[in-house]
Amino acid sequence: MNQPDTILDMGRISKAYAGVPALREVSFSCERGKVHALVGENGAGKSTLIKILGGAVQADSGEIRFKGRLFTHLTPRLSLDMGISIIYQELALNPYLTVAENIFLGREPNRAGVIQTRHLRQQAAELLGKLHVQIDPDAPVSELTVAKQQMVEIAKALSRNADLIVMDEPSAILVGEELEQLFKTIQSLVAHGVTIVYISHRLDEVFQIADTITVLKDGAVVGSRPREGLSHRELVQMMVGRSLEEVYPAPIGQRGEPVLVVDKISNARLKNISFTLHAGETLGIAGMVGSGRTELARAIFGADPISSGTITIKGRLVNHASPAHAIRNGMALVPEDRKAQGLFTALPIRQNITLPILNRLTRNGVLQSKRETQVVEDARHKLSISMANADQEAQFLSGGNQQKVVLAKWLETRPSVILMDEPTRGIDIGAKFEIYQLMRHLNEQGVAILMISSELPEVLGMSDRILVMRDGQLVGELPRETATEQAIIERATSGVEVS
Amino acid sequence: MSSIGLLQKRPFNSQRFWRQNGRLIAVYGLVVIMALIGVFFTERFLSERNLFNLLRQTAFLGVVALGQMLVVLTAGIDLSIGSLVRVSVLVSAILMSGDSNNTLPAILITLLLGAGIGFVHALLINRLNISPFIVTLASFVILRGVALTISTSPIGKASRETLLFYDQRVGPFSILFLLFVILIVTLIFVLRRTIFGRYVYAVGGNQEVARLAGIPVQRVRYGVYILCSLLASVCGLMWLSRMGVGDPVIADGLELTTITAVIIGGTSLFGGRGGVMGTIGGVLVLALLANLMVLLNVQQQYQGLIEGIVIVSSIALYNQDTH
Repeated sequence: MNQPDTILDMGRISKAYAGVPALREVSFSCERGKVHALVGENGAGKSTLIKILGGAVQADSGEIRFKGRLFTHLTPRLSLDMGISIIYQELALNPYLTVAENIFLGREPNRAGVIQTRHLRQQAAELLGKLHVQIDPDAPVSELTVAKQQMVEIAKALSRNADLIVMDEPSAILVGEELEQLFKTIQSLVAHGVTIVYISHRLDEVFQIADTITVLKDGAVVGSRPREGLSHRELVQMMVGRSLEEVYPAPIGQRGEPVLVVDKISNARLKNISFTLHAGETLGIAGMVGSGRTELARAIFGADPISSGTITIKGRLVNHASPAHAIRNGMALVPEDRKAQGLFTALPIRQNITLPILNRLTRNGVLQSKRETQVVEDARHKLSISMANADQEAQFLSGGNQQKVVLAKWLETRPSVILMDEPTRGIDIGAKFEIYQLMRHLNEQGVAILMISSELPEVLGMSDRILVMRDGQLVGELPRETATEQAIIERATSGVEVS
Repeated sequence: MSSIGLLQKRPFNSQRFWRQNGRLIAVYGLVVIMALIGVFFTERFLSERNLFNLLRQTAFLGVVALGQMLVVLTAGIDLSIGSLVRVSVLVSAILMSGDSNNTLPAILITLLLGAGIGFVHALLINRLNISPFIVTLASFVILRGVALTISTSPIGKASRETLLFYDQRVGPFSILFLLFVILIVTLIFVLRRTIFGRYVYAVGGNQEVARLAGIPVQRVRYGVYILCSLLASVCGLMWLSRMGVGDPVIADGLELTTITAVIIGGTSLFGGRGGVMGTIGGVLVLALLANLMVLLNVQQQYQGLIEGIVIVSSIALYNQDTH
């Protein structure tokens, strides 16, 4: 056996966004010609680490040693020139250019500025040949399947003589045999001495392709282990193995009448889902990203149509045709993507908070500024939103305060059912705690909460019951008392054996 | 320890002041500079007659620019304004045909026509999910064709009252200008103090957030497109009172001028940001520019060049403030 040849060594990398740490002294190293898997939950810091490697983001501290050269930080240009290529989930291809043009975009073989078309096609064909894929270099990229587009990205990386290729969740856009093809390509790349960093949260895949597996959690490395000798069970424990912190207020422990009854609803993304939500209860929904959790909330809220089934609130049939209907029936949705769905980032905080209740703040159609200010001030105190003033644009608030503004908006409508999709994503622990307490407070007042979350400790800590989703279906219900992270993961992922 | 308190203490305030008001300051600064050029470099700028005419002119562009602004605030656009002004002046002139008895019906029918066209715009955008650019581009072409079909030479006649209206004064001001000021005040009030106004900004700010907040996005769109087209018809009627006949060559390229005024005034073409005072500033810049070029005898072929330079530099001025 050769002695290990380390191509990349990232040492003690730290990075904070606006004071919230994303990476804490993370060390990550790769051996040349091997496949390194990087796994972890959403928000564990995988993408920040990769962005630092690609030069898109600069680390606050730490160093990067690549092919023997030492850097304190990289720029995108430098990173590319050194032979690092990153293939993001969102492929960076121009759909209207041909395969060959895309591969050599910005580096076209030319003579005096005139592109040598023949050379371009020839070189592209050679690269694609190396990857053993059947792709016409003259085909426009828009005509290719996503899997083939991914291959074009890989060819692009090779054309830059990349020594290290990072693939960010490559399997997320692939189906069936396409994944096998990708694995074959990876193996042949590795055989040629290319190093691969493979990011995924699908454990079975990681076990199939990786030589070494590094687990990130909450911005720190939990461990880095060779695949050989590592069991599924151990890996799962590495991923989730945090004890429940004392941040979750105890549940109130008694539930009231059923308020929301969902009976056999289906649509393009949901199959036959039924459950009942009681007053004063927090019902957790767990499942992998893409399992239909968000779609379920949107369907209940009337944001997406349902094709069959019924939704009943307090005994009344209310299959919502639009969010406006849902709101009138006492519902609120705190969406997953705050900036795209929950908040008007360019509008003042004041207008964000009072938007759904403007009717209550008008006299003869004219807004009563004083009453509006009163509402905003009340919300500010109740939720302890820290802001310079209410006319500040919402985009200047921290994530936690933005989320409080979204919550304030809905609390003013006095809902009886609140759907919360990733209520604490991307916010610091202090604000998280405040939101958990608010949720309990709402439960005490009889408000029913449906909480979707990818953070298992949060699901376990906050829920009275937990429903698990997979492929648009409910695949299990776990009572609070007996639920464990392993039990949830087992149900949420097919093919993972955790006995 | 929670870090929220610390995060908020950004030494931002003066910067934010400039970000929020920089556009207005820049555009009105430009207005002042241009007025000073007029005062010092021309003889007639400060004459009563010139100022009277200048303010009256701002009303013509201002009325339609405000309509355009409402649409742009919702992240839409209306390219049909010029054609609709033209159709409105033709229709109202023909209906009126110089008869005082026809004045009121002709005005009402013209306004109804405008409102109807705005309704159709919103209907197509809402129901068929076609982009505002395409819907109103089609409308622009169609209405221009309609105008050509109606007449290629001056047609119809304004009634006596309509003609007299153009020169009517209240104190030193043109009545058209005063009505324009009333429109300005009303719109400021509507945008700031009514639910509809808030909804306009919300829809433009982010349509999906608005929908999920239960806002009747489609109704808001009917509102702004109907108002915009209605104001275009109003502008057509103003032209009738000015020309006395249905002139089929007026308002050429007016939709682009309105967009220019709206942009100079700092309203974002992506919607959700901007307002009446900025747009009025943009209108003043364009009106002053046209006035100065006449007073300074700038040759026709250079006017376009100068106008282009002013547009780009006025945008560049406050873009530097924001970045």
